[in-house]
Amino acid sequence: MNVVLENLLFNGVFLAMAGAAVAALAGIGSAIGIGIAGQAAAGVISEDPKKFGQALVLQALPGTQGIYGLLIAFLIMTKIELLSGNPIDITMAQGAYIFAAAIPIGLVGIFSGIAQGKSSAASIMLISKRPEELAKGMVFPAMVETYAVLALLISFLMLNGVSV
Amino acid sequence: MSIARMKKLSVIGLVSDRDELMEKLMAMGVVEIRDQEAKLDDDQWKEMVTRDEDDNTVSAYDSRIAKVNQALDTIAKYGLGKKPLLHTKKLISLKDFRKALEEESRIEDKIALINSLSARHAEISNAINKAETLKLSIEPWRELELPLEEQGTKTTDLILGILPVDTDVDQFKTALEEKTLSATELVHSDANQHYLYVLCMKDQRNEVDDVFRDFGFSKVQFIDMTGTVKENISTLEKKEEELAEEKGKVEDSIRSHEVDQQELELLYDKLIILRDKAAIRQSLLITNNVFYLDGWLPARAEEKVSSLLTDMGCYFEMEEPAKDEETPVLLLNSSLSMPFEAITKLYALPSSKALDATPFFALSYAVFFGMMLGDAAYGIIMMVVTGLILKKYKLEGMKYQMIKLFFYCGISTTFWGAMFGGWFGDLVTVVAKTFFNADVSIPPIWFDPLQDPMKLLLFCFLLGGIHIFIGMGLNAWLSIKDGRPLDALFDVGFWYLLLIGVTLLVVGVAPGVTKWMAILGAVGILLTAGRNKKGIGKIIGGLGSLYGITGYLSDVLSYSRLLALGLASGVIACVVNTMGSFGGSGIKGVLVMTFAFVVGHTYNFAINGLGSFVHSCRLQYVEFFGKFYESGGEAFQPFGENTKYVNIIREEN
Repeated sequence: MNVVLENLLFNGVFLAMAGAAVAALAGIGSAIGIGIAGQAAAGVISEDPKKFGQALVLQALPGTQGIYGLLIAFLIMTKIELLSGNPIDITMAQGAYIFAAAIPIGLVGIFSGIAQGKSSAASIMLISKRPEELAKGMVFPAMVETYAVLALLISFLMLNGVSV
Repeated sequence: MSIARMKKLSVIGLVSDRDELMEKLMAMGVVEIRDQEAKLDDDQWKEMVTRDEDDNTVSAYDSRIAKVNQALDTIAKYGLGKKPLLHTKKLISLKDFRKALEEESRIEDKIALINSLSARHAEISNAINKAETLKLSIEPWRELELPLEEQGTKTTDLILGILPVDTDVDQFKTALEEKTLSATELVHSDANQHYLYVLCMKDQRNEVDDVFRDFGFSKVQFIDMTGTVKENISTLEKKEEELAEEKGKVEDSIRSHEVDQQELELLYDKLIILRDKAAIRQSLLITNNVFYLDGWLPARAEEKVSSLLTDMGCYFEMEEPAKDEETPVLLLNSSLSMPFEAITKLYALPSSKALDATPFFALSYAVFFGMMLGDAAYGIIMMVVTGLILKKYKLEGMKYQMIKLFFYCGISTTFWGAMFGGWFGDLVTVVAKTFFNADVSIPPIWFDPLQDPMKLLLFCFLLGGIHIFIGMGLNAWLSIKDGRPLDALFDVGFWYLLLIGVTLLVVGVAPGVTKWMAILGAVGILLTAGRNKKGIGKIIGGLGSLYGITGYLSDVLSYSRLLALGLASGVIACVVNTMGSFGGSGIKGVLVMTFAFVVGHTYNFAINGLGSFVHSCRLQYVEFFGKFYESGGEAFQPFGENTKYVNIIREEN
């Protein structure tokens, strides 16, 4: 029994898939972030429905972490040819490398998504009072996103370095 | 310089010529007339002049404008006419403009009619709401067969009322029947309460009321209503129907005025012009016979305004602004970099004494945008759509600049997409493989970033370095222009030496020379950065400033987003295509592919287009503007025809 479990868990393909799963977790951050921004947006729209377009733009900003997570997850799946239904038989070490590569975007994605959501919500409040300052309102959440971008880059470069 | 040079204008003229002059200045639209508040507080001026005011005329026009506006809103709300995607001003010659407004009173009659229709519409909506509320309030009593005006007989009282839902009706009934001679009937129960009526003897009212109190029974009265509830409901329904019908008729007759919309718009613009002309008078100072005004005009309009003022027989002066005086800011750029003014304005206008950043970042903005979106097909779509809009609509101001900006960004996106081989991601390859089982691909002109990301990363850092160096260079140039060449050397020159030296040293180019470059730069910064501080601050200032090298490092690293966002849009496009290929090669496959293509690429284009826009802005605002840009100017607001719907063209003569 133990051996079976060991074979399953310490298996290259499984670890790589777990990596893809971790990367996709970045979507948690985006979901929470967009949720926070959405609450602020709905409040603003109740006062002035004309601001819908602007508020929607700001609400969309924390959505990128999920995309970055998807990107890394997809690249992992392509790398081990999972989508063909016939994954390459990679070693446990390779699987572990891939798993490690997925951690930056998975982890940073969650927290930066939430932080960016809060910043987006604040920017939505900003445009409720000064709609002409939309550009500045977009820059503040973009400052947060920098770190998701850096994590994406690290995940990508790490993954790129693993040869299978 | 791309901030227009301004001149200060002061004019004295005869009051009798005032209105004509104002009309001509307005048509010209190049002079900003300043408010004279300060002069009115000045003792010397105060003795001679008073503010020229015409508040009554202004408020009369304002109330007429409000009426036209209301009528236009009403038409827009109920009209069926197609609203254009983008609001543009129509062109109209002065002759046509005047002719269209000859029968002003007839148009105002129409406006009054439209507004009364709109008021009637509001009344009807109100009445419908009222009827609906009333209907809802009697609805639970529907089963009550007695007429509502029935109060009882000579010796009995009929009482309608409600009990809270948690009260037991049977208990209530028994309690009443035990103590009094009465009949209780439950009419209806809903989630909140029981509706019932009680018939009791008049002389036992006190006992009955006691029971009512014990059970929390509250009486309900329908004042001014006669007949049974059913009759009342059907009357109300009939009334509602009639009202709805009338509402429809009112909407129809509002719609019948849709044809007048253009006349109304013309009148609106005319009133705005007249209002502004009356309102500007409060910025004028007058004595009995002459008026005084001052303001700003761009130096390039000097001749035109001079000849007008000479013709009008005014006394005037045009002076250069004093050295430290803030002037209004008007950006003037070549037609190529002009659209990027929008990005500058979204940040904040430059101070009048500073530098307009627009021409210096225009190219890099388009390049960054293109690299981040990085798909030739998306770029072509952008170019076609914005190109068509530019061709079809005559846009002005910010809208024009934004659309044109996206047109240029589209060109750049197409270029970089072709360089990196992105045409809807790898659509061609996937389609060829799925449906024709062939290996076709569009090779990138330069290289595929997915194959060699490090190469592109370094290229991004290189672009970033150049971008930052341009910003620093502008800072140095401003210092030199300001007569502080040493500041330029200390604050920028040494940094150039240090940064170039360190970079080349890391790369490994000519280590002998570059090492000394770096050391010279570092020592220079160490010695000079604290020069404006006192005592020990001189040394600490130098050290602190040298530590700022980490800032430059993070600035350059920030440009890695060019690669990351470029990858994001490229890979998501591939994800979309891969999902599209899951349907296989048959008819089903084509459907799946089409669906994935339309939905997926639309989404990818929207979200990454937004990302590219935002992050291009960020790179300009944070990394570039931070190096030299000084904001805080007030926009130049010339006194002109601030129309909303039409532009009046005057034949030049």
